[in-house]
Formats: sequence, C-alpha cells, structure tokens
Amino acid sequence: MRHLLLSAVLVLPVPAMADPASVLSNAVQGYIQPGFADLATSSAQMATTAEAHCAASDPELRTAFGAAWDDWIEMSHLRFGPTEVDNRAFALGFWPDSRGAIPKTLARLVADGDPAVNDPAEFAQISVAARGFTAMEFLLFDPAFAEDSPYLCDLRQAVAQDIAATTAAISDDWSGAYGAAFLSYGPDSSMRDETESLRALYGAIVTGLEFTKDARLGRPMGTFDRPRPTRAEAWRSGRTVRHIRLSLEGTAALADVLAGEETEVAAGMAAEYDRARLAIDRLQDPVLADVTEPSGWLRAEVVSQTVAGASLGVQNGIGVYYDLSAGFNALDGD
Amino acid sequence: MTSRRAFLSGLVAAGIAPVPGWADAGAPDFLAAGQAVDGSYTLCGLYDTGTIAFRIPLPDRGHAAAAHPIRPEAVAFARRPGTFALVIDCRTGRVPIRLNAPAERHFYGHGAFSADGRLLFTTENAYEEGQGRIGVWDAAEGYRRVGEFASGGVGPHEILRLPGTDTLVVANGGIDTHPDSGRAKLNIPVMEPSLAYLSLDGVILEQHGLRADWHMNSIRHLAARADGTVAAAMQWQGDITAAPPLLLTHRLGETPRFLARDGDDHRQMQGYAGSVAFTGDGTQVAISSPRGGLVQMFDPDTGASTAQIAAQDVCGLAVAEDGVFVTAGTGQLSQLSTPDTVTDLTRHGLAWDNHVVPIASAATRQPLLPNRT
Repeated sequence: MRHLLLSAVLVLPVPAMADPASVLSNAVQGYIQPGFADLATSSAQMATTAEAHCAASDPELRTAFGAAWDDWIEMSHLRFGPTEVDNRAFALGFWPDSRGAIPKTLARLVADGDPAVNDPAEFAQISVAARGFTAMEFLLFDPAFAEDSPYLCDLRQAVAQDIAATTAAISDDWSGAYGAAFLSYGPDSSMRDETESLRALYGAIVTGLEFTKDARLGRPMGTFDRPRPTRAEAWRSGRTVRHIRLSLEGTAALADVLAGEETEVAAGMAAEYDRARLAIDRLQDPVLADVTEPSGWLRAEVVSQTVAGASLGVQNGIGVYYDLSAGFNALDGD
Repeated sequence: MTSRRAFLSGLVAAGIAPVPGWADAGAPDFLAAGQAVDGSYTLCGLYDTGTIAFRIPLPDRGHAAAAHPIRPEAVAFARRPGTFALVIDCRTGRVPIRLNAPAERHFYGHGAFSADGRLLFTTENAYEEGQGRIGVWDAAEGYRRVGEFASGGVGPHEILRLPGTDTLVVANGGIDTHPDSGRAKLNIPVMEPSLAYLSLDGVILEQHGLRADWHMNSIRHLAARADGTVAAAMQWQGDITAAPPLLLTHRLGETPRFLARDGDDHRQMQGYAGSVAFTGDGTQVAISSPRGGLVQMFDPDTGASTAQIAAQDVCGLAVAEDGVFVTAGTGQLSQLSTPDTVTDLTRHGLAWDNHVVPIASAATRQPLLPNRT
C-alpha cells in the first residue's frame, strides 16, 4: 500500500515540499546560532559595563542589563541541549520563585559577605536563585538591595560575569559540537533523525507559548476574584509585558523558519500570532498591575486566549505539516 | 465496649453483614479517566473486554484512582494540582462523596487504602513548604480527614500498599511545584527523588535515593507483586540522550535493580515512562512511553528485557488476568499477553488519560509469583 502511494506520488507533478534538512539547517544557522551569539555579546557587554558602573541606579548598567535580558527572553523557549547542560537556563532565570528563594539567598550572601563573588568558578556553584537575570533584577531594582556598598557592587559584577560565562557556553555549544550533532542524525548523535530535531524545536515553541500563558500571564491574573499582580514576572524592572511580547516573538520567528517555503502554513500561523500581538498592544499597564480591575483582568485574559490560539495555530500549522502533533499523553504527561 | 466500627468490621469478617463486596455482579474491572471529543472530562468503569460499564462526568481532568480492598468502591483523583477526589460506587457509577484537599494542600493524583479498607492515604503537596505529605482519611466515617504525615521527600506521586501487608510504598518524584505557577518545575537542579516505605502511621521503614548523576530521574509510578517486589517507573528531566534506566525493581531490605533495553531501543522511550504494571502471572513487568509510542517488557527477576511493542500514544497499563490491560490517548484499548501479543479490544471516542487502574481485581487478582503455590 505504501509503495503504491509512493509511486502514485512520483508520477504526479507535485509542488515542492519543504525539505526538513534545509529547514533545520536554516533554523540552526539563521535563527538559533545568531540568537545565542547576540545573547552572549549583550551579556558580555553587560559584564564589561558593570566593571565601571556597578551602582544599582546606574543608567548604563540598567540599559545593558535590559538589552541582555531581552536577548535571553527571546531565546528562552529553547529549553533543550545546551541550555539544559549544568542547569544553565535555571542559572539565567530563576522564575517563578514562588517561595522567595532569590531575595533570601541574596540576603544571605550579603549578610555573610560570601567571598564567592571574587571567584567566578566558585560563584558558578552557588544556588541558582542568586544567579542570572532574575537575581540581577533584585540587585538593580529592589529597595532591599539598592545600597551601593562595596559588597553589593562586587555581587552585581559577579552576577553579570556569571551570566556572560553561561551565555557564552550556550552560544559555543550551539556553534560547535551540539549544533553540528543537531543536524547530523543517527543512533549515536543527539538526534536520531530529522523528525526528532523538528520535534525538539516544535516542542520548544508549544511549551514556550504555554509557559507564557500559564506563568507570565496566569500568575499575575490568578483568578478573577483574586488577582495577584506581584506574582508577575519582572515587575520590579517594569518589564512584565515586554517579556510577554518578546517570548511571543521568539517563538513566532522560529515557527516561521520551520514553515520554510510553505507560505500557506506560515500565513496560517502568522494570522494567529497577529491576533496575539494586537491583544498585547491593547494592554495598558506595563507590569499588569491593573489586573486588580475587571477591565485590566479581562484585557490580560484576551491575551491569554490569543496566546493559546497561537499555540493551536502552530500545532495545526507545522505540527500537522510535519506530522509532529503529539498525542494527549505524549504532549502532556504526568 | 465494642466500638461501632469494630462491630461492623467484625460482621464483615464473619461474612454476615449486608455489605456489598467486589464479588457482587456488575462491578467493572478497571477505571480510567479520559477526555471526550467535546473537551469535557470523564471517568469510566471498564470491563476487561473493553466495554464501558459507566461514565461519570468530572469537573476537571482526572488522573488515577484507588480501589477499596473490600467494598466495591474506588476513589478517583484530580490531576495535579487538583483539589478534588470522588468516591465512586463501582456497581452503579454513582458518586456519594466528594473529598476536598485541605487548605494549602493539593492532590498529586494517586492514593491507596489500608488492608482493612478503613483508611485512605493520598499523596499531597504542602506547597507553601514545598514538601510532600501523605493525607489520611477515615473511609469508615465518610472519608473524614484524620491527619497527615511527611512522605519522606518532595513531590510524592504514586502510593501503593504492599500486597498482604500494611506497608506503604511512595514514589517521591522529587519535583517541587507550586499551584500559583501551574505545573512549572521549580527545583530541577537540586531535585532528589526517592522510593520510601512507610508504616500506616508515617514511620519511614526504608528509603532509597538515586546515585548523584541520576538525581534528575523522577520516580513517579509504582506497581507491586504479591511477593512484595515493587516496580517503579521514572521520568528523566535531563537531556534525553543521557537518560538513565526508566524502570527499577526493588524488595524491602535489598538494593534496587535498574532495567533498560540497549542503545537505540532505550533512546526511543524519550526518557519518559508513564505507567508501570506487572503481568497477571507476575513473570513480567511493563513500562509505557507515550512519547516513544512504546511498551517495553522486562523479566523482573533477572532484569532481562523480553519484548518491545509499538502502540501510538500508549500510557495506561494495568495488571490483567492474562497479561496487561492497555489504554492509549487514541482511544484504543488493548490486551497485551506475554510474551508480546497485542490484542486490540475496541476503540472509544475518548482520549484515555495517563492511567488505568485495576479495581474489581484489586481484592482477588494481585499479580502472582511464577509457580506460586
């Protein structure tokens, strides 16, 4: 039966199918490698800036920090391979932090005057709660850590340097051995076949959108009767909605690359993403503090629904096109 | 003075009480939760032929159930972080009692009864502390909450009672979650799963962690054989190319044994085992991977791999008289007989959720030892 179908296809003038191999190499070379290279560059820039500008309120440090965090949020849905080695993704962003581990750990470092800040290798071993962009946000924007003591200065420099080292390692892996293995298939490679590579990227998009919906939107929204605005991501630095937008755009760009030359697939997904963009444009509060009002909560709810729509669009788009649509249990086990 | 409860259980033991038991006709063989085409959630009683005995609407997604050892009654649990559980009369499918998790607790989706059926034990998250708890409910008094104790770890998932004993075994998955961030995993870098044996009053009798480089292998689901052999299925949280074995077997007082097929076969499980079950004769143990669309079978006594069977979106496994009863997200119900024969029973317009739980069989059909006399 299968042979019959194949020969039938061979004699018909079929339109060119997106070639998974070239789509995948475009994704790695045109999207993943440059994205992580940008992140490594902006992170190194932040570390350099922190050397000369380590005050919490320093505008140059805050700008460099914002640029690097932007680059991470845009790529943060790629939670497999190099980002998972040594828990690098957790070391870049420890969120949600439901029990307040970040301020507790930072406060302990400060109280002890922990010398790990003077040794990058040692600093890389401390709790992930005190590392990464989420810790840096506390050190730049939380009044409890606003002091410009020499120790806090050292701590900001140590966190910035640690972020630079982590992002450089991710970028190096993707430009080197891991990126090559991702595109060469076999039982001994990190990917068994092209479908497995496609599935990894597709899964990253779907789970990335789900995280934006459930955590970035769901946490501050809480329930209609009990919204929780201080559970929003990055509210201290005023970046909550910015992260929602950046994470959405990060997955949109990858979905578009994976659609290859299948313009119909790409257009179907883009239409859903456009709905989400429009809903985000209508948000009025950059940190979603207005979820405490019915109208603000409902605006966030619309975003949540359109992000779910974007996810469905991707599932019905590249998921169906490459036959990646996972089953009820496969996609969401327990 | 004889308490009312002791009096009643005395009657049950004497076999003269007018209390219905599992032997009464009509009770199905299995319970499984699922999602209907219209998106609504349901819990079904199933006969081993694949026929649906009853359907109960669920307010939210279900997960697994615990069968009462004497009465034809089961408790079905919400999927984590759910806070409800339903007591079901398995002859009729009626729901006489609803359990609600106490404040600052949610269910993980599994539970087990004491041998006399008096107490129900439920795995729960004390989420403000990030610690696992075992909730205790008095089944003889309308499932009143009577207490709780520590599970011996974080994220306790499945709990079982060792057959013929009052020893509980708990899979402490190790993963910390908090309902205000949904199902997001909060502690992967430092997670420490364990297999813990506890008495009914919460004393830890024995506990096994994993070696340091396997600490991200979440111990989640359990099956037990009549001789006390426990099989535990695991879910790897690291890179799938580095996935360690996803199945362990263990007996009290011994060292855990880890089981996996070689190379690419193991790889195809995608680092994820969703359910585990012994075969009815106890000679084999099966794990399922919905991500890999595979069931793998092993000899629990030698560790040898015996079979690998492909089945799309397969997840639920339950001990059955002749092998293992299998459910899948495609709606398919199958019977798996040793060594590797799959008989398709029927396909329903329901996506079967993670687990299928043996019920009518619970009192009489524990998996046996080979040549057991």
